[in-house]
Amino acid sequence: MSQTTIAPVRVSVLINREVAEVFRVFTEEMAAWWPLGTHSIAADTHRGRVRAETVVFEGRVGGRIYERMSDGAEADWGAVLVWEPPHRVVFSWKPNLTPGPMTEVEVRFIAEGAMTRVDLEHRAWERLGERAPDARRAYESGWPGVLGRFAERAKAGGQP
Amino acid sequence: MSYISGVEALAVPTRRVILERLRAGPQPVVELARGLPVSRPAVSQHLKVLKRAGLVTDRRVGTRRIYAVNPDGIARLRAYIESFWTAALAGLKAAAEADTTRPREKRRKPR
Repeated sequence: MSQTTIAPVRVSVLINREVAEVFRVFTEEMAAWWPLGTHSIAADTHRGRVRAETVVFEGRVGGRIYERMSDGAEADWGAVLVWEPPHRVVFSWKPNLTPGPMTEVEVRFIAEGAMTRVDLEHRAWERLGERAPDARRAYESGWPGVLGRFAERAKAGGQP
Repeated sequence: MSYISGVEALAVPTRRVILERLRAGPQPVVELARGLPVSRPAVSQHLKVLKRAGLVTDRRVGTRRIYAVNPDGIARLRAYIESFWTAALAGLKAAAEADTTRPREKRRKPR
């Protein structure tokens, strides 16, 4: 199996708001748009007994991205690696409790006239490949791990 | 077989481990079961589910059945992740474009 068969996932959306506003909603108001009911650690592990109440995105390098559950518990999804408001943010990503490598998400906010284009890239394996001699193994295990985490959440919530 | 069934197949950690091992190259059940904390028949069962989900293929070589990753199945799952982020960003768009209160508040602030 060649590594090139697995490319980063890239998704874009055009939003009718200025860059600073979109950046603010993405980070400060993540709880307002993230599908917490189906895509959260609480949805994975508690199946309705405990809900994810909010998700907090701490806007600084090293800041945590975590969900707070209705029983007061907190669970980390990742940490901020690059913080360049309002144009770019990069964070590590592992919104689950199972051990495994973290993936990485980069989001760019680009002005297009009065609108904003959001370019999101979800990646992991290339970064691991450059870092360590045993990274090949980490690379190999990264993709099914990512899929599995989405799978668990999709399953917990019925439909993704 | 839809990609959702592939996603569901991978919701079981043991099946993820099996798929991870197959990414190193095609292998027979005996080899896959080595070092796993589950029995060989259990591994066979998991492989059957992975095959039904389109994530692995098998072929007979002599008396053995060799399993391999199915790149098409992986590609379908990748498309699933893509559709997840597309939906999440659609949520972002709706939230950002609906949020008309903040700019007005800003304008009200004294300079």
